[in-house]
Amino acid sequence: MIAVVPSATLVGAVGQPVLVEVHVSNGLPGFTVVGLPDAAVRESRDRVRSALLSSGLPWPLRRVTVNLAPSSVRKGGCGLDLPIAVGLLVASGELPAHRTEGMAFIGELGLDGSLRHVPGMIALAGAVTGRSLVVPGDDAGEAAAGRPGPVRATESLRELVDALSERQPWPTVRSGVPERDGKDHGGSSAGPIQCGGASSGADLAEVCGQRLGRRALEVAAAGGHHLLLVGPPGSGKTMLAERLPGLLPSLGSEEALEVSRVHSAAGLPLPPGGLIACPPFRAPHHSASAVSLVGGGTWSMRPGEISLADHGVLFLDEMGEFPAVVLDALRQPLEEGVVRISRARGTATFPARFLLVGAMNPCPCGEGGAPGACRCSDAARARYARRISAPLLDRFDLAVSVSRPDPDEMFGQGGGEPTTVVRGRVLAVRALAAGRGVRSNADLGSASLSVHTRLTPPAKALLEHHLRAGRLSARGLHRIRRVARTLADLDDAAELIDEEHAAEALALRSGRSALAIGSLR
Amino acid sequence: MTADGACHDRTLPEAAYAAALAGLPDVGPTRLRRLLDGAEPSQAWARVLASHPLDTGRRWRAVAQRTDVAGNWSTMGRLGIGVLVLGGPRYPVALESDPGAPAVLFHLGDPTVIDDMPRVGIVGTRTATRYGLGVAAQLGAELAATGVAVVSGLALGVDSAAHEGAVAGWESGRPTSAPPVAVVAGGLDSPYPKAGARLWERVAGTGVVLSESPIGTGLERWRFPKRNRILAALSEVLIVVECHQQGGSLHTVRAAMSRGISVGAVPGSIRSPASAGTNDLLADGCFPVRDVTDVMVALGLARAGLSPVRQRRPRGRSETRARTRDAAGGERGSGTPAGDSRPIGAIAAASAGEAERPCGRVGVHETASGWLLDAIGWERCSVDQILRRTGCSLAEVSVELERLAARGDLRSDGAWWERV
Repeated sequence: MIAVVPSATLVGAVGQPVLVEVHVSNGLPGFTVVGLPDAAVRESRDRVRSALLSSGLPWPLRRVTVNLAPSSVRKGGCGLDLPIAVGLLVASGELPAHRTEGMAFIGELGLDGSLRHVPGMIALAGAVTGRSLVVPGDDAGEAAAGRPGPVRATESLRELVDALSERQPWPTVRSGVPERDGKDHGGSSAGPIQCGGASSGADLAEVCGQRLGRRALEVAAAGGHHLLLVGPPGSGKTMLAERLPGLLPSLGSEEALEVSRVHSAAGLPLPPGGLIACPPFRAPHHSASAVSLVGGGTWSMRPGEISLADHGVLFLDEMGEFPAVVLDALRQPLEEGVVRISRARGTATFPARFLLVGAMNPCPCGEGGAPGACRCSDAARARYARRISAPLLDRFDLAVSVSRPDPDEMFGQGGGEPTTVVRGRVLAVRALAAGRGVRSNADLGSASLSVHTRLTPPAKALLEHHLRAGRLSARGLHRIRRVARTLADLDDAAELIDEEHAAEALALRSGRSALAIGSLR
Repeated sequence: MTADGACHDRTLPEAAYAAALAGLPDVGPTRLRRLLDGAEPSQAWARVLASHPLDTGRRWRAVAQRTDVAGNWSTMGRLGIGVLVLGGPRYPVALESDPGAPAVLFHLGDPTVIDDMPRVGIVGTRTATRYGLGVAAQLGAELAATGVAVVSGLALGVDSAAHEGAVAGWESGRPTSAPPVAVVAGGLDSPYPKAGARLWERVAGTGVVLSESPIGTGLERWRFPKRNRILAALSEVLIVVECHQQGGSLHTVRAAMSRGISVGAVPGSIRSPASAGTNDLLADGCFPVRDVTDVMVALGLARAGLSPVRQRRPRGRSETRARTRDAAGGERGSGTPAGDSRPIGAIAAASAGEAERPCGRVGVHETASGWLLDAIGWERCSVDQILRRTGCSLAEVSVELERLAARGDLRSDGAWWERV
């Protein structure tokens, strides 16, 4: 007899529907799994057998063949334990076939028949076919977030079989799970919980001084411009960067789903609500490898740090210490907003639309630029500056040098604006950008650039002067215009870009020269 | 080439053998003088070739046998490098009587210019501030234009700036102007630092570049302090423009002091580490160098006096001072926080600025930008510091900075701003 149970497997951060076909026939007792299973799936045989026996269910002493369709997709992970077990029960006649009709199953089995958490549940739940989905109790929240249809949760195989054969009612799901299971078909339109900017703990009001750095942070958040902070150790680069996510708008429901899917696929815990609502902040250490940053891996296609920072902030502290190969791997995702990873086993696409914040010292001793303080040789400074390739440096719209605050500011009452005030302005600018059909001003294409960034004559003269002096390239000009657009938006949504905006945009890019060699001449 | 051949090649001048002797391994100035003591260079060379294999000079013998004297001589001829031998013709008189005079001196350009005019050494740190570079270039240019040869080492920073100025002063074409003189540590066939190769050529083209090292000498640490003694000996007055507390320029100062040469120092900010060494020198009794007149007085070419002979440039200094006094009077109550690294003028400007915000949105186009120049002061400062001192927004400050830069009142490398 044949049983077909819908389920899903994970390819990268995307779920793929899988049909588990179980055939039980006469012949020598045996158990075969076909259809490109990986080691974890092949091992499921032993888990399923023990789980059935310890749940008081029979193991058929007949020939069992399990096929995982479509057979061209490689299946990994242990989420297929439960559908195999259910298929086996149906095929051997333990469960009537109509009881499981239209139901999909995902879950890992323990030897005692209990059901365990499966990573990537949001993506898996979104991919399965079938009216309702049965998952382990731990995953009910995630599954409900990833899927509009009803979700049922059980704690063990025994509980499931009792419920299916209607000897017991379906168990109630534990607290902490949104009211999604059962008949709620609200789906993802319900929207995630709002993320208060200041709730992340780090407030902008705690930053002493740093007028330039704060301004750069505000502009970066408002316009989605990548930001490079250059400054000596202890000048507060990290402190500033950590406060950037608080300034960003909360994730929309689509964005929240995408971010949660990636986090879930990476096996990271999701918040109790099921969906991630705050823009993520990722700060990998500079010893990170290219694969850990970009994604990939030998056994599974795991999302990298840039995908985990999707719709949030990727902060690279001590950027000069990252290997050049690793940094240059960022260039393509920075342009395209996605990263495609190809391996012999297949290809995976992860989202990677992140805001890049880099922090580095201006020179090996760190003091570079301060009058007479740096004693690094020109050659050493040049070597240090070369660690960031020019194409990558070019992608930073904003580059400011951050200096240590004055002693009197350290003891002053901070006095800066709190995150909530700045965030209000950021949201207003984002709304203006949405009116232009882009997510943020940094995404303005060259065609819409000429429409939306018209310059006043003084502004034009200023930029022309810099172009002629060779301090600005054609690409640099485009970036300046985008930043100037953001500045004009912040300045009461001015229609035209004025000299002030252009000059400020230039000043917000001046940190690049702190990395230039022979800056004294 | 065999040993015999080298000895009997009568077509080669003595200078070729002098150059070959200087190229022997580990031959410092002292050994070279001992080798050449009372002997013609060719005789000394023959003695090296003939030295007993067990002698201390056996390494020299081995090297000497391998040395292609004639080949090196023609290479030097092709590069335009000449050789001066102590006691020989054209050897600088200024060096002849010096206890540490180099026995053999290589030169690019015309060495006779050295004795024709008064000479002033200008030295300083390689990591100079814009202030130091500016002062060095200005002194170099003004000295060269008034007929004083500038002696320096062609190193990065102050040295290069001084030579840059001196070349510019020479090229100004005044009849009184003097060519530059450089003393370098490495061989004359390989300019160091590489970035200064063009300046090196210009100095050699207008004046002379001297070195104790034969061609093909790599960079050796010990040659730099040795070079400094020649630089000091050639100077009638030595000026230190900027120097860190333990800077290499102090080698030259010590060499000059031991020769009784007067040393002057350019005063700098007491907060600038690059001026710590020069300020120490001033405290130790070196004469202060404020402009070219101070140097001329030290040379004995101008009269010191209190008369208005010295024409100081106004540069708005008195104006700033008056304002500082006013503001300090008004701000007495608040007091100045300890450890504040701002110049007094800037603090005054900042407190004044915070009181009335000079950069009101309406007035920004009319103001003469004096408030911004006051806030910047006379030290390099960052945009962050300017924002802090003025209390204005980045937009207001940056647009005004750009205007002042376009007018030539300010200079910037992007991150740092400085008054011109």
